[in-house]
Amino acid sequence: MTGKSGKKVRYLLASGALALTAVLSACGGGGSAASGSGGDVTINFLHWRGEDVKALDTIIDKFETANPTIKVEMQTLPSDQYQSTAQAKLSDGSVGDVFASFPGAQFDALAKAGVFTDLSGSSFLDSFNADLIAAGQQDGKQLAVPYQLVYNDPIYNVKLFEKYGLTPPADWEGFLALCQTLKDNGVIPIAFAGADIGPGQFMNTMVMNNEPSDDIFEKVEAGEAKLTDEWWVKTLTQIKELNDKGYFQPDALGTKDAAAGALFVQEKAGMLASGSYQLAQNAAQNPELEQALLAPITVSAGEAKYEGVHTSTFMLAVNSKSKHPEEAKKFLEYLSQPDVAGEYANATGQNVTVDGVSYDSPELKVAEDWTSKKTLFQPRFTIKNGDNQKAVTNSIQAVLGGSTPEEAAQEAQAVIDQNLSKS
Amino acid sequence: MNIKRMKHKRALWLFLLPGTLLYLFLFAYPTLSGLFYSFTDWDGVSDSYRMVGLGNYKDSFDSLVFRKTLLNNVKFMLSVVIVQTIVSLVLAMLLSRNTRTRVFLRALYFLPAILSSVSVGLIWSFVYDPTIGMLNLGLRGAGLDSLTQNWIGDRHIALYAIAAVQVWAHAGQMMIVFIAGLQAIPGELYESARIDGGNRWQLFRHITWPLLAPASAIVIAYTTIQSFKAFDLIFVMTDGGPNNATEILSTYIYHTAFGNYEFGLASAGSMIFLVVLAVLTYLQFKALRTDRAA
Amino acid sequence: MAFKWLGRLLVLLYAAIIAAPLYFVLISAFKPTTAFFADPLGWPKPLTLENFVALFDQQPMLRYFGNSTLVTLGTVSLSLLLGSLIAYAIVRFGGRIGAFFFALYAAGLIVPTQVNMLPLYSLVRKLGWSDNLLGLVIVSVALFLPLTVFMLTGFMRSLSREVLEAGSIDGASEWRLYVRIAIPLSAPALSACATFLFVMSWNDLLMPMLLINGNSKLTLPLALMQFRGEYVTNYTTLLAGVVLSAVPMVVLFLFLQRYFIAGMTAGAIKG
Repeated sequence: MTGKSGKKVRYLLASGALALTAVLSACGGGGSAASGSGGDVTINFLHWRGEDVKALDTIIDKFETANPTIKVEMQTLPSDQYQSTAQAKLSDGSVGDVFASFPGAQFDALAKAGVFTDLSGSSFLDSFNADLIAAGQQDGKQLAVPYQLVYNDPIYNVKLFEKYGLTPPADWEGFLALCQTLKDNGVIPIAFAGADIGPGQFMNTMVMNNEPSDDIFEKVEAGEAKLTDEWWVKTLTQIKELNDKGYFQPDALGTKDAAAGALFVQEKAGMLASGSYQLAQNAAQNPELEQALLAPITVSAGEAKYEGVHTSTFMLAVNSKSKHPEEAKKFLEYLSQPDVAGEYANATGQNVTVDGVSYDSPELKVAEDWTSKKTLFQPRFTIKNGDNQKAVTNSIQAVLGGSTPEEAAQEAQAVIDQNLSKS
Repeated sequence: MNIKRMKHKRALWLFLLPGTLLYLFLFAYPTLSGLFYSFTDWDGVSDSYRMVGLGNYKDSFDSLVFRKTLLNNVKFMLSVVIVQTIVSLVLAMLLSRNTRTRVFLRALYFLPAILSSVSVGLIWSFVYDPTIGMLNLGLRGAGLDSLTQNWIGDRHIALYAIAAVQVWAHAGQMMIVFIAGLQAIPGELYESARIDGGNRWQLFRHITWPLLAPASAIVIAYTTIQSFKAFDLIFVMTDGGPNNATEILSTYIYHTAFGNYEFGLASAGSMIFLVVLAVLTYLQFKALRTDRAA
Repeated sequence: MAFKWLGRLLVLLYAAIIAAPLYFVLISAFKPTTAFFADPLGWPKPLTLENFVALFDQQPMLRYFGNSTLVTLGTVSLSLLLGSLIAYAIVRFGGRIGAFFFALYAAGLIVPTQVNMLPLYSLVRKLGWSDNLLGLVIVSVALFLPLTVFMLTGFMRSLSREVLEAGSIDGASEWRLYVRIAIPLSAPALSACATFLFVMSWNDLLMPMLLINGNSKLTLPLALMQFRGEYVTNYTTLLAGVVLSAVPMVVLFLFLQRYFIAGMTAGAIKG
């Protein structure tokens, strides 16, 4: 009796394990077999732009019609998750034959891990504005192609400005006076998402003329310059000044992106400290809104070197571990065609780095006007270490939370020093 | 008889086998490789890494952020454990008898526990918003403007504001454990104590509390582990900000591994985390044991 | 008397604290986005289903429901089977062996997922189990085993030893004892544990995110992530998704409430 039951148990366990292995291997094998057998190739396209899925679906449909042997499977992960899970998957090639990456820290790490295929010399690169895709180069190789063009300058409400006779000021005194006028008229001067994106966006225009160089943060990370130097302390002081004078909405540090945007859309705020990427969304929520971009000039008019900040991002690349690199490149090439890029831009409200695209909405044209201005590549993205990047934005949160600019700068510099001592 | 026992034992080993193999292979082994990586400078993406000995442990303890994180974690854990235990105990005592209303209220209190913590974090991000959030709007509506706060933006308040959400989400669950414990206490004990002239406090001190010890042990152990591992809430609500005011160990590990590409350093942080948690759990266990014995 | 009223007041106050945020989610799910920001607390007017329509419009939500159900049912049943076998063996072994295995699993309770997620990922990938719902089930079972074993052992310890001893003297095998005596007697603990695992598995975000790639295999929490954009998120749609994915749990909870309480009772008394 006992022995029999013992056997039964063993038999059960053994057969269970067998069945499991069988099913697993069947499921695992099934997918790849299907993609190989019919001559059809499925490529996976991984990115973080959940809001672009609809527009890209349409484009992918057309691509598949034009290339009947290639299927594109698109997957998105929110940008905060993109850093963790996407990276692991990208680095072993299990997803993302075509994938997007952020400039700065992420690009560097993925480049170091050898995830990018060198795209140098590909003919489709000629469709792009050569200056704007430099962010995807390393050691002379074009590893990724930035697709989106963003101006990280605050947005302002044109009609509100006209109502109070205001125009974009040319110096810091003018900017403070402008804020004061708005405040006196019961309008929040600047809607500021202090809890999430605000510090990282606003710091760029605030620092661009206080230290008008494109490599200041590189020097900081190399130990050749310090956050406790005058340029950063001044930047922090000026941000604190705006906050202390009540030019941000109350409790700005606890406000998230969506709520800050709502203040601007409802015309309770005159400016929104974000960037051109948000123009289309604002217009969708309030079609009456007339918007333009304005960068605060933190110095006197004569000292101002830059008029604003730009970023080329959503850097498209082909995975070096992809089994279908040719098909992946074909998809990239398709996206680079001016008419396709134009379709993407007009459907998503994002400007693109492809030349010769015709934009059809007023919001896209607003940003297009900025191409002729003298803008600096987003300083925040020149910080290569994620920890350092966070220390920098944290120092802004610290001054908004009551620290003095000197304290905040010292605290941030301590983190940088620590990272310097590690390497 | 002996042969029979041996056969029994053999069957029992077979019972342990499948689950334990799975556990060792898919849980213990990855955890131990974390220990290995803590001695390397692996970035989490590359194919290669170097051994760096105890460097990551030294860097962790040298780091201001890491020390701040440890402190935050202790504050967070203590406030959640204390508040949640008291709240769930009080609720349990108020709702321990089975009446229709009470059963309904228990269900309501329990409800947040079945929502995912990502959802809870999302909901409370909006509740806490300084301008459009229901908490500040409600306070203003009630004429209590002076009580409005910058809940998750103020570095002195944010950590406790999130601790409150943790309690909101789990106190109902812990209340159920206490109710179960309370219902198991024989009513006669109270009767005779009352006849002896005991007042409410004395009844609680000498009957309820000692007899609830097993339930309290479960509640406190669960709450400690839960609060230590609280990740989703903070990740969704503040992501450790403002200025690291709400960074706890689990979010620190995440940021270090995936934001800064220092998987080795993050693993060292995890190992320190494990040791701290193990020590805490052990101390609690011991404290509750002696409490029960006394 | 004053005490009684104070108690009632407290109970109602707490009910309001629980209900208010839930009310907020519910009304938001039925509001257009503009109203969500303009009048966050007001009753939705017009009451709209557009958020729910958008959910089903943009994603195959029914398939994701199916995936989630499959993964959750698989994870829960396999966890209970393996967990109860282990718990039974731990209790029957007793002594050093029992204590060792109990400690082995209890230690797993305190390991944060962030510690082992990357090594786990590369292991699963090497086995070829990634992007596979069954693989996800097996990994989840391994991760939930500490909790399952912890809960079930607590309960099975309380089963009267004599019942089992008597059974084994009668010559019944361990398997028979397990099936005929231990399992039926543990029904309340098993169902309580099941409900726990159900909630955890249904809501789990990290493991599916790590292991699932293809769009056809997403689970609900992962699907909801597809509604979050980099800068543009339609929060009313997202909150509608939150409501929708919570519905099965709420229904389950309402029907199985007493099992929760019954199972917890057992654990709490015998500790």
